[in-house]
Amino acid sequence: MGLAKPITDYETVATWSKGLREQWGGDPLAEEPEKLQTLAEFCDFVGKDPDEVVAFCFLRKKATGEKFGSVKRREEIAAQIKAFRAAGGGSALAGRRRQSDVCSFLIHNGVLMQLGVI
Amino acid sequence: MDYKELIGIRRSIRYFDPERPVEREKVQKILEAMRIASCAVNAQWNHAIVVNRADIPPEILEELKMPVAALVQELAPVHIYCYLDPTVIQRFKGSRLKELVDAGALNPTHGWSHKFVDEFVYPQVLEPLSHSPIYPIFAAFDCGGAGTQGLLMAFELGLGACWTAFNTDAAKKLLGVPDEWIPLYCMNVGYSLESREAGGQRPRPDFAELYHEGRYGNPFRRDPTVVKELENDKVLTAPAPLPGRKEEIRKIARKLGLPD
Repeated sequence: MGLAKPITDYETVATWSKGLREQWGGDPLAEEPEKLQTLAEFCDFVGKDPDEVVAFCFLRKKATGEKFGSVKRREEIAAQIKAFRAAGGGSALAGRRRQSDVCSFLIHNGVLMQLGVI
Repeated sequence: MDYKELIGIRRSIRYFDPERPVEREKVQKILEAMRIASCAVNAQWNHAIVVNRADIPPEILEELKMPVAALVQELAPVHIYCYLDPTVIQRFKGSRLKELVDAGALNPTHGWSHKFVDEFVYPQVLEPLSHSPIYPIFAAFDCGGAGTQGLLMAFELGLGACWTAFNTDAAKKLLGVPDEWIPLYCMNVGYSLESREAGGQRPRPDFAELYHEGRYGNPFRRDPTVVKELENDKVLTAPAPLPGRKEEIRKIARKLGLPD
C-alpha cells in the first residue's frame, strides 16, 4: 500500500518534525531522511498512513468524548513494531534503529511508547 | 565525597550501562545505609529485596515494567524492591522502642521507661495507630527516608540510581513477599552513562512556594547569602539544562538504539 500523498504532508509527520526540531535543534528529518523512509516502510507494513497509525492508538470515551490512550491498541502497535523490526533483517543495531524511529514518531505524537515495553 | 556535594550532585539517573554489573559490596553498602536511617518508634517498617536484572526471567521482567519506567527497569543491572511491613508494630509490641531505652536514646529525662512503653505507648498509642487508615502514610514516610539514605550511598559509591514504581503482582510472583507487605518503589541501580552533572540540577518550585515560617502563607525568608554559601559548597549547582545536555542524550540514545 502506497501513501496517498507525500509523507511530509501528513499532520502527524509535521508534528513529529516539529517535535524533533524543538527537542534537538536543526532539522532532524531533513538531516536523516532514513527516518521518514523507515516510517513510510512501517506504514506500508501495517497498511495505514501516519495519521491513521497515531489515531489507532487513541480512543474516545463514549460518555464524554474525551480522548485517551488505549492500552490494548498500544500493545497491538507495539507488537507490529516488533514484527516490523524482525522483518527488516540487518544487524541488531539497524533493527533497533528502525524500531526507535517508529517509536520516535509515536512519542512525538503523544503515544506512550517507551522502549522497554515493546 | 563531602555530604553537601553529594546531595548537590544526586540526580535521578535514567541511562545505565546495561552490561556493567554492580559490585555486591556496593549493594550491601546501600542496604546498610538504609538500615541506619531515622525511624519513628524504631519500628523498621522498611524491607528491601535485591535482584540482579539478569536473574529475572524475561517474561517476569516484562510484567514488572511500568509503561513510563520500562526503559530504566530494563537498563538498570540491579533492582532493589522496597516494601513496607505494616505488621511490625503488632509483632514487636513496643520491644524495639525498649531497645532505644536500653541504648540510652530514649531516657527518663524525656519521660521514657520500659514501663511507660508497656503501659502507655504501645497499648494506647501504637496499637490503635496501627489500625488507622493513615498509619501506612506515617510508615511510608520513614521508608522514604531510609530509601533516600540508600540512594545517596549509591551516588557516594560512584553509582547512579533512580526510583521507579513496579508492577506489584509480578513482583510478588518473583519475590514471594508476605501478603501483608505494602509495595513502595524500586531503586534501580547501575553505572550511569550520563555525565557526572547529568545535565544539571533539576527544576524545582520556588523556595517560598514550598517553605513557610510561623504560619502557612508566610514564606520562609530565603537569605541570598546562604544561597551563595550553598553554591560555593556545591549543594546548589548549575540548573538544568546545562549546555551540551541534548548532545549528551542524543549520543547515549545512539549508543543504546533509543528513539530520539
